[in-house]
Amino acid sequence: MAIKKKRAADSQELDLIPIMNMVTILIPFLLMASSFVNLAVIDSTLPAIGAPTEADEPDTPPLNLKVLVTSEGFTIATDVAVLPSAASDGPTVPCRQSGCPGIESYDFEALTALLSTIKDEYSHEENVILVPESHIRYDIIIMTMDATREDPSQKVQYTDDQSQTSMRSKELFPYVVIAGGGQ
Amino acid sequence: MAKKSIRRNGGNEGLNITSMMDIMTIILIFLLKSYSTEDISVTPSADLVVPISSAEKAPKLAVQVVVSKSQILVDGVAVMSLGTATDPVTGAEVPSIPADEKQGQMIQKLYEKLLTKAETAKTQAQRTQREDLEFKGEILLQCDSTLPFSLIREVMYTAGQAQFSNFRFVVIKGGG
Repeated sequence: MAIKKKRAADSQELDLIPIMNMVTILIPFLLMASSFVNLAVIDSTLPAIGAPTEADEPDTPPLNLKVLVTSEGFTIATDVAVLPSAASDGPTVPCRQSGCPGIESYDFEALTALLSTIKDEYSHEENVILVPESHIRYDIIIMTMDATREDPSQKVQYTDDQSQTSMRSKELFPYVVIAGGGQ
Repeated sequence: MAKKSIRRNGGNEGLNITSMMDIMTIILIFLLKSYSTEDISVTPSADLVVPISSAEKAPKLAVQVVVSKSQILVDGVAVMSLGTATDPVTGAEVPSIPADEKQGQMIQKLYEKLLTKAETAKTQAQRTQREDLEFKGEILLQCDSTLPFSLIREVMYTAGQAQFSNFRFVVIKGGG
């Protein structure tokens, strides 16, 4: 009896061919559908069109922080004043090379550091208006948005909805408005 | 003796596919994990290199406008092709809207297309009465990283005129 059972087990091998068929079809399909690029979005709005609402007059006037992106560097300005450069009378954060030949010549770190000190002063402000010149490349605008959004060199403790604390980069001015700028 | 061993081998002749099955299972699980359920997709090409950013916000479904170096697409349908112009400051050849396609800063063909999209979305929201379909004027912009701001400004202005005022710039997660 025992010998008979053993023989039966020997001859009955699992038929894996249908599974193999299925797997070989599934793999190309999943390869096609899988994405190895993680996408994200940056929100931005147009400057409000039409009459401004008069109902909510804030106690303190908004800062209206502007960052002008030119071929000389970044100029930081508000409604009332333009932040002068430490070194020269040019833009607030000048390029590393004059004329900004490439994206790496823009000094994004210095811009972030400067905006970080402004954020310390005006901690309630969350808006920044970007005013790029016409010929500024799109990737420079995106990198400027990155530089104005958060300061990765400073970690701040945040508490989320589930009251769990985590260390994140210090938030600067997350709401970006792109202004028309000069022609 | 020799006969016996041959017979034994012959009886066991089926290909051993257990190890292959192991590999397949691992690949299958890996691919299932990386299976994309995102609402939007980017088809990178030489004409459309989306910039890299440290942004973390996940994309949501909206009207997609793709501005590559050679053409403008709305929801995957080509609307118009772009010409080139010489940049007055840098002197480089940059993509631009042909002068006869625009009125002031407004790109006519894009405006007409986006206006129909906005009208469709509004009628849909009205008929279904669903809050998640409500027209919020959201637009996903995929632009090539070398485009000048003047072109992007014209696209943004046109979208703004067609009642799309919430822009989402699609970027590749990575930097920072």
